[in-house]
Amino acid sequence: MTYARRALTVAWKDLLVERRSKETLNALLFFSLALLFVFQFALGPDRERLAAVLPGLLWLGFILAAVLGLGRAFFVEHENDCWEALLLTPGDKSAIYLGKLAGSLALMAVVESLVLGLFVVFFNVDLTGAVAGLVLVMALGTLGIAAVGTLFAAITAQARARELLFPVLLLPVLVPVLLGTVKTTEALLAHEPLSAVAHWLKLLAAADVVYLAIGLLTFDVILEG
Amino acid sequence: MTVLGWLTALGLVAGLVMDFGIAPREMTQGNVQRIMYVHVPAVWVAYLAFIVGLIGSIAYLARRRPGADRIAHAACEVGTVFLGVNIATGAIWGKPTWGTWWTWDARLTSVSVVFVMFLAYLLLRGAIDDEERAARYSAVLGIVAALNIPLVHFSVYWWRTLHQPPSLLKPGSSTMPPVILTALLVSFAALALLGAYFIVRRARVLALEQEALA
Amino acid sequence: MPDNWSFVAAAYGLAAVVFIAYGRWLRRREHELTALSASRAHSQAVRSDNTQAVRSDNSQAVRSDNSQAVRSDNTPRSQPLSETGHPRPEPSKRPPLQ
Repeated sequence: MTYARRALTVAWKDLLVERRSKETLNALLFFSLALLFVFQFALGPDRERLAAVLPGLLWLGFILAAVLGLGRAFFVEHENDCWEALLLTPGDKSAIYLGKLAGSLALMAVVESLVLGLFVVFFNVDLTGAVAGLVLVMALGTLGIAAVGTLFAAITAQARARELLFPVLLLPVLVPVLLGTVKTTEALLAHEPLSAVAHWLKLLAAADVVYLAIGLLTFDVILEG
Repeated sequence: MTVLGWLTALGLVAGLVMDFGIAPREMTQGNVQRIMYVHVPAVWVAYLAFIVGLIGSIAYLARRRPGADRIAHAACEVGTVFLGVNIATGAIWGKPTWGTWWTWDARLTSVSVVFVMFLAYLLLRGAIDDEERAARYSAVLGIVAALNIPLVHFSVYWWRTLHQPPSLLKPGSSTMPPVILTALLVSFAALALLGAYFIVRRARVLALEQEALA
Repeated sequence: MPDNWSFVAAAYGLAAVVFIAYGRWLRRREHELTALSASRAHSQAVRSDNTQAVRSDNSQAVRSDNSQAVRSDNTPRSQPLSETGHPRPEPSKRPPLQ
């Protein structure tokens, strides 16, 4: 089996499992809805205050959903005694990393689009002219989150207190991504041109490259046992 | 190692002499500025330690020599200690000069993020029972954390300077009078020796622990 | 600006306390562990006649390559060493929880 096929097989398997059980997706969607209400109640009815913190809230929502969803990335394998099968896979195991990553990205794309939609409706967000930029930021940011998240999910899968350890490991590392995406989203929602935040986009791209490279190069090591 | 120990002691004495005896009273801040001689070298030493940790982690993954893993572990731990000192002394310096213990300025914030990252590293080490797996996983985390440091720095720095794409890495640093610069460098050398001393000893303790567990 | 020597003292003092405490912890761990291995070496010398014959073949075969993970160590244990030499028993050997 070629490398690409192996990666695609893993991704396809994950998406198929998800499509049939809809476990994670449903939970994440309801979680996002709940978050919406929590944000609203935490910040009160003041429209302007909400508008000011909206970009931050949006990405907070994305990251919290990611922490929940990505932490479970290898749950399916563990629960069904397939972890050892992963370890025994012949060839370059980074194909598994890519496959998992692709599956997670697809899942997060669905969740994020829905959260964004909910925000637009509930918080009256004006997206005119910002959609393309937003899609770009969401793509860059989510790629970074998922790249690190998939790697850390594999690492914490074998550790004690993994549900606690995963966010503790993930959140500090994701600070650059959080800052970059929030600042860019802020600028876009204020209808500034993308060129004004070019440096942030470059930072996000650089972060994505770094995280992906480390993930691809070290996943073999993680899956040694 | 005793040589290193004595050199360290010497360095620390020299540092203190420079910091209090020779360095002059600063014009705008007064003597409180002397905190800089502990605060700034501490973060330099910490980052050097994290680079050592990075090299050790990569070396471990490449050759799987337990010595490399011990150095990486020790270096990351010592680096975290020095970062903690940097943050605490920074807060103590901030109270009389800025009027507040804490402010989310670029340096304090980015250092705190790095601090939490490596605290997480130490947490991971504690959470994995199998020694060999702990070494492998920590090496990967150590690499991620160390390579993330520049990303953290840039992102936090840009976050604090509003709406302005920066043209340089940092704004031009104000020129420091040579005496103060010398005192700073001597203090840095002293703390670097202390850091190296701690790393060597910590690595030895780790080696002893591994022997004792077997 | 006033000199605020108390803050200077606090900063240097804090740094000193942290470094000294860390150094002392390191020294204490080192002493504990060297004492532990010294007492083991002593008891090993005492017991070597009794257990050497039984363990010697085992040790050679299993441990010849891998000096790191497994160490020849003849102190009596409450539970037998597992195949990998790890002091904790394999999960399968543990009695099931009631």
